[in-house]
Amino acid sequence: MIEVRKLCKSFNGKKVLNKIDLEIRENEIFTILGPSGHGKTVLIKLLVRLLEPDSGSISYDGQDISSLSKREFNEMYKKIAFIFQSNALFDYLDVKDNLSLYKKLHTKLSEKMIMDEVLEAIHFVGLGQDILNKFPEELSEGMKKRVAIARAVIKLPSYIFYDEPTLGLDQGNIVKVIELIRSLKKDVSLTSIVVTHNIHLMFEISDRVALLKDREIVFVGDKDNISNVMLQNLYEKGEDYEL
Amino acid sequence: MKKDLRILREQNRQKKNHTFWKICALIVDSLGQKTIAFFITVHEIWILFLSSMRSIFSIWFFRRQFVEQLYSFSVKTIPITTVLSIFLGLGALVQGIYQSNPFVPRVYTVNVVFKSLVIELCPIILSLVLAGKLGASLAAEIGSMKISDQIDALKTLSLDPVGFLVLPRLLAGFIMLPIITIFANFIAILSVFFASSVVSGWISPLEFLRGIQLDFRVFELILGSLIKPSLFGILIAFMGCYFGLKTVGGAKGVGKASTNAVVISAILIVIVDYYLGVLFL
Repeated sequence: MIEVRKLCKSFNGKKVLNKIDLEIRENEIFTILGPSGHGKTVLIKLLVRLLEPDSGSISYDGQDISSLSKREFNEMYKKIAFIFQSNALFDYLDVKDNLSLYKKLHTKLSEKMIMDEVLEAIHFVGLGQDILNKFPEELSEGMKKRVAIARAVIKLPSYIFYDEPTLGLDQGNIVKVIELIRSLKKDVSLTSIVVTHNIHLMFEISDRVALLKDREIVFVGDKDNISNVMLQNLYEKGEDYEL
Repeated sequence: MKKDLRILREQNRQKKNHTFWKICALIVDSLGQKTIAFFITVHEIWILFLSSMRSIFSIWFFRRQFVEQLYSFSVKTIPITTVLSIFLGLGALVQGIYQSNPFVPRVYTVNVVFKSLVIELCPIILSLVLAGKLGASLAAEIGSMKISDQIDALKTLSLDPVGFLVLPRLLAGFIMLPIITIFANFIAILSVFFASSVVSGWISPLEFLRGIQLDFRVFELILGSLIKPSLFGILIAFMGCYFGLKTVGGAKGVGKASTNAVVISAILIVIVDYYLGVLFL
């Protein structure tokens, strides 16, 4: 379980997040929904300590991560996977090396065993092994997203974070990504935290939802309790959203 | 009327005075900000250097990246080094001959050309050129990784970006620059020999050898071929990595990082070269 208490963050004196309280339960898909530029990416990066908060606490299974040293948190990262908005595939490595890098550096598995796991991961995300020798620049956006998910899955994490997982994808790829997020919960029992401004995606995948607006969480609860009025308020200034 | 004019003049004078002090305040403010930024940069460089030194024991873990960097610091720079050394040698020879008095024995000219090549020209010119080639490419590579979240992705894969990116490059620079410089020295001397002895017959091979042996000091060779290039190698790699990691924004930020890496490492190379000369010679 992830617990967030009174989390604050500002950049150059400008408050981006104010007193955020959240509780993310085991094996649920938790979505943080909000308009662009309201601090969603900052929040998700704070949750995995890619950014440091100004104040407040974040704890994983009761352990406050701010008290962990860099080395200890490096160990913690083995339980966490992060899918970046930009996918962040290493562009100087081919798909095979992108997927096997973690296993090569952190396990003592043989080349063959690592290759087996790479193949398993790439099949899990619905891609063929013909893609393994390609470089990220040769892939479509949808393929890149699925390779990024495969790279995350191969770590066998407990928590997986998605930053705008459907951004820039066509409808076909959005459906595939939604299926993947669902199957990671169903088949692998992962706890998923999704940040999005896509209302359709939120309704499709979420167990529980937090609405983030103007630096604060304005609602946390079941997606069925979200009314049209709440969504209209969330995007009242004509801010960008997708249906 | 006169009184009004006086008041107006007084007001104008006060306004000018006010503007003057405003400009002074702005200058002081800007200088202060630049000074603070300078010390912050020095502090950050020091912290990054300490972090890389701390991760030195994990080099075995990053051996693959280290070997890749050794390759790009050596094999990829051989063509440019070869061309540069040939013409450095020839240029130094032409200058040597032109500047020498006809009554000066030719062995002395060879001696001056040899020493200036080995102690100064080859290490510094080569390092400046490689600062342009390697420093810029390191900064651009790491800068692009930074703006596309690849550095953060490394962290989420439990990899220390300093150990993974900075340390292998730093060690590769430290090890490979001296080797490339020794290679450059060899090519430069060879080109001088061919031009002066074999092709033009300006000096006999035996006299050429005597010119090299004249007042030969092993320490000078060590300074020019090992000490200077290893320090320059660290500077080039470190500045490339530092400015790469500091990249912000998009393509413009990457361009700025590359430019900064080249300019700052070139300036530091020249300064360090001067102090090494003062210290050791």
